[in-house]
Amino acid sequence: MVIRTRDKGDVIVFDIEGEIRRSEVTEATLHQLVKTQLDSGKKNILLNFQRVEFIDSFGVGEILASYISTQNLGGKLKLAKISKKLYLIFQVTMLTKVLEIFEDEQLALESFDKR
Amino acid sequence: MSTSRLHGFLSRFVDIKPGEERLALFFFFYFFFITAPYSIIKSVRDARYLDEVGSVWLPVAYFLTALIMGLVVALQSKLQVRVRSSLLIVWSLLFFMLTAAAFWHLFRHGWAWVPVAFWVWANVFIVILVTQFWILVNEVFNPREAKRLIGFFGSGGILGGVLGGVATGFLGRTRISDDLLLIAGAMLLASVLMIRLVFAGHEKSGGGRGQASAGEPPASGTGSEAGFRTCYETVRKDNYLRLLAAVVLVTGIVSTLIDWQSKNVIENTMIGRKNLTAFFGYFNAGVLIFPFFLQLLITSNFIRRFGIRTSLLIYPMILLLCSIGIAVAPVLFFAVMIKGNDKSLSFSLNQSVRELLYIPISPAVKYRAKIFIDMFLNRVAKGLGAILLMALIFIPLPFGRPFRIQLVSIWSAAFIMGWILLNIRISREYTNTVKQKLEVKWDRADRQIAEKLDLDYARLVFDTIESRERSSVLYAMHLFDLIKQDRLTPEVKLLITQKADEMRITPLGALFEAEDTNLMPATDEWLPPDVVKKEVLEILSLDVYQEVMKSYIERALASTGRENETVRMEVAKALGMLPPDSPLAAGLEGLLEETSPAVARYALQSAGKLGKREYVPALIQKLGSPMTREDALEALEKYGPRISGTLSDFLGAAEENLEVRKGVSQALARISNQDAADYLLWQLDAEEEELADELIDGLDKIRCEKPSVRFSEETVSRALHREIRGYFGLLAASRNPERRAGQKGREAGVEMDLNKRTLNVFKLLGLIYPHEDIFRAYQNVLKSTKESTAYAVELLDNTLGKDSREAVLAIVEDIPLAERIERYKALDRGARRA
Repeated sequence: MVIRTRDKGDVIVFDIEGEIRRSEVTEATLHQLVKTQLDSGKKNILLNFQRVEFIDSFGVGEILASYISTQNLGGKLKLAKISKKLYLIFQVTMLTKVLEIFEDEQLALESFDKR
Repeated sequence: MSTSRLHGFLSRFVDIKPGEERLALFFFFYFFFITAPYSIIKSVRDARYLDEVGSVWLPVAYFLTALIMGLVVALQSKLQVRVRSSLLIVWSLLFFMLTAAAFWHLFRHGWAWVPVAFWVWANVFIVILVTQFWILVNEVFNPREAKRLIGFFGSGGILGGVLGGVATGFLGRTRISDDLLLIAGAMLLASVLMIRLVFAGHEKSGGGRGQASAGEPPASGTGSEAGFRTCYETVRKDNYLRLLAAVVLVTGIVSTLIDWQSKNVIENTMIGRKNLTAFFGYFNAGVLIFPFFLQLLITSNFIRRFGIRTSLLIYPMILLLCSIGIAVAPVLFFAVMIKGNDKSLSFSLNQSVRELLYIPISPAVKYRAKIFIDMFLNRVAKGLGAILLMALIFIPLPFGRPFRIQLVSIWSAAFIMGWILLNIRISREYTNTVKQKLEVKWDRADRQIAEKLDLDYARLVFDTIESRERSSVLYAMHLFDLIKQDRLTPEVKLLITQKADEMRITPLGALFEAEDTNLMPATDEWLPPDVVKKEVLEILSLDVYQEVMKSYIERALASTGRENETVRMEVAKALGMLPPDSPLAAGLEGLLEETSPAVARYALQSAGKLGKREYVPALIQKLGSPMTREDALEALEKYGPRISGTLSDFLGAAEENLEVRKGVSQALARISNQDAADYLLWQLDAEEEELADELIDGLDKIRCEKPSVRFSEETVSRALHREIRGYFGLLAASRNPERRAGQKGREAGVEMDLNKRTLNVFKLLGLIYPHEDIFRAYQNVLKSTKESTAYAVELLDNTLGKDSREAVLAIVEDIPLAERIERYKALDRGARRA
């Protein structure tokens, strides 16, 4: 799994590539990377899933832990460009009840301003 | 005078911020030019009434005033919502100027009704103009600003009263005695000028202070189209306003009783009209000069230092003591004390605190409430006081006339006690009202997830899908878990039986709603879940199964390397399905040592299910890696409170890996009982800087999860002061030029550390004060407007004990950095001396 970050105004975009699995973690976990951004004062995070093929239960835990850390500091964490397959699984497991998911990155970025 | 010199001068008397000087001075003189003419008018009123009508008929004047005031209130309330307050105030001032001149003319005719009409007019004058003044203060300033400046404004009013009185005393013996009303009218002209300057100054500052709508009538649609009845209904329907009204009612009654108590004792002590006149001359000057200095120098500081509640109690407490004193010994000392304190404190401390009580009320409601309470009810209270007094004085008593003063004093003391109780209640309600001004900006995400999501189920679905590609055995075991939990729904069946490349791109809703959809495209022969459950559990409990599997498990455990990882995963998962007393479960210990996170994960899950004590040390070690921490935490959580002692041993072991200890802190937070809280708190008291964030976070989680858990206030307070010291240490270091040079590029880091310290301070406060209130305040301090920050600070000011209040306010209040540090240094010096 490779994660690159982009600065989009008040929002930090995480471009994630590969699979968010326990076995795919190299240097730092997604949650650790999100916490680093939060510590530096960036509190709006967008996870771009365009190139994410699959996530396992560890990945779900990482996303939710990132969501909790962000939200509890008064920030927002959202997801964009998630595949239909993953979206289906998110729906069945009711993750869509908690996480805000957007089809398009631009829409997601605009949604941060609408608070 | 330049602004900085003006600021330097004013800041000797009042806690004033740069930029507030001119507006504060305009308010000061606006009030001055209302009370100075009133002081003249009041003297003329009393003199004319006593001379031309007589004191016997004073109750008539009281009742007429109460009656007329009702009509005036109705008219004022209608005008208040139709006319901009800037215009209404100017019109009111012009009206009183013209009518003062009219009375000056009418008095020349010597008609008997004129002094009575003038008495009523004078009372309407003061009520209308003073109420308008305080409404404007309420509109322009927020609670924090008002708390600092209100004493200064009040002293302007008192100074006006003193100088107006002195001028009357001086001019009263001269030839222009009959023209005093014209002088009072001219003074009102200066008041018109001041009000123009107030509005100009407020607009110049962008109207940024207080309610931005200052000068505007309350917004339409807020139900502010108010007549007298609407004003009354507004008060009747609101608990807080009802309490305010009750306080004003009782205060008015007490004030009337006290006036009679003092005058009765003085009358029986002093002999001769000259003595009485001289006494009242000195006394009246004293009761205005004393509150002037009290207001200017003490009131604001007193309210800031001791808060609303104590400030509300001081006044009635003193009156209670004096009233009891008169009941026991009706001597001049107590008479002077009771009347002197009544006049002094009602003009200074009590007036200021009472105005502060109105600050958290929205402008539209405030207009209506003030009209009813301050203009109408205040007069009614005096009327009721007079009726009670007449009853107490004129109803025949078996013990005779000499004991009337004792009887009135006892009644007075009883009313004062009721007043004290009302004040205690209203100070509580005040905090609640401030709280309502603060919106909750966000909910705790962990609570939100716990409410909306079954996380175990979500993870199981993901694991099932993942295992389908990896191993049919793991896949089957996951299916069995779903069956056991009765969660193998048609939707899940569809999801897990479709291969990745078969996954359709139709939305899920449409997929499930289509009646002809084949829900099980890959497998259409599913056994009934209860049959599967029964059969699998029977097989697992067979002795022969245990025997056969023993050799297989031993072989699997012996196999190492990546190619056998799946086999070990299968075994790790299977062991969790066995009964805890199975001899095969011993194999799990080896799997818990696995370096492969995938195998370790299944082993951790199984350990949590089996719950054997011997696994605990290995589980704790898995807290050290971010890859296995979450699974280890879940497993340890399943053990529950019985392992909190073991966890605390690891937490306290300084030689242990720091990441493991941080994980242990989280594990204790998940166990979330009294013991866990005590262990975390003890460790926090050990002052290990690198663990502090994690420990405080854990304690905060317990506080949220289990409100019944108690935290030692002493220990929390020590930790709180360490965090506060750390915050100001960082702040001071960031301002030190030498240290700053060595920390170039670290500004963001310092900001980050300050934010963390602030969050820790609030988390610690949340342990010993109402958690919801503290976090409401935190959220509004963190991301809000100047207004909501002010209300948040006000909430903290009224919630926190004096031990931490000033230091916490120095962190969150909207003040310059240098002042912030200086304020803390002063507190720290004080604490060290203590």
